[in-house]
Amino acid sequence: MLFFRSEEHVNEWCQATGLPRRPLVTLTQLWHLSVAWYANRLTPEARRPAPSEMVAIFARIGLTGPFWDPQADTFC
Amino acid sequence: MIDTDLEVRHAVYEHFVATGEAPTAAGLASTLGIESQDAVAAFQRLFERRLLVLAADREQILMAPPFSGVPTQHRVIVDGREYFANCAWDALGIVAALHRDGLVRSRCEQSLEPLDIPVHAAGPDPVPCVIHFAVPASLWWRDIVFT
Repeated sequence: MLFFRSEEHVNEWCQATGLPRRPLVTLTQLWHLSVAWYANRLTPEARRPAPSEMVAIFARIGLTGPFWDPQADTFC
Repeated sequence: MIDTDLEVRHAVYEHFVATGEAPTAAGLASTLGIESQDAVAAFQRLFERRLLVLAADREQILMAPPFSGVPTQHRVIVDGREYFANCAWDALGIVAALHRDGLVRSRCEQSLEPLDIPVHAAGPDPVPCVIHFAVPASLWWRDIVFT
């Protein structure tokens, strides 16, 4: 997951690297993901979200579809 | 998870928070009063549970997400201490984990121009940027370093 100044820079980077253009996430959406994943990471009871929890976290901030489903077989 | 793993995991994170660096198995074993080989075995069990990422030697810690054990282009400064993050997500994740204000110092991956993002309890300042996720969620752990 990389930062870019703009969508145009993402497109140029994808063209230069030959990597497919994938979904973009805003800084606000990334912050929500960071809090959901890591706000309790330093506590003894911390754990990674289960796949169904991941899908729900993504959906809450508008990230839906197979790209955001850890159990999707679309990309295998 | 067995008790040693919990203890080791907690100590790994405490070390990252205090120093910004990954602990060694020997150093951590000394801190916890256990054998070095037991610390390595705990690292490997935590790796299998996707709670740590180890280097190819399966002994050194590469990642304790959101912290990186090796330098990256994503630096995070909190309370005057510098941390390295594994990716854009983890850069904000370090600030979220520490519950302090912080400064993410990264770059635009195409233009390589610096990208500084102040982050507070309410979230990041509205710095113009976007984040590209190159890998679908189902494949993240196929090559977590690239992801």
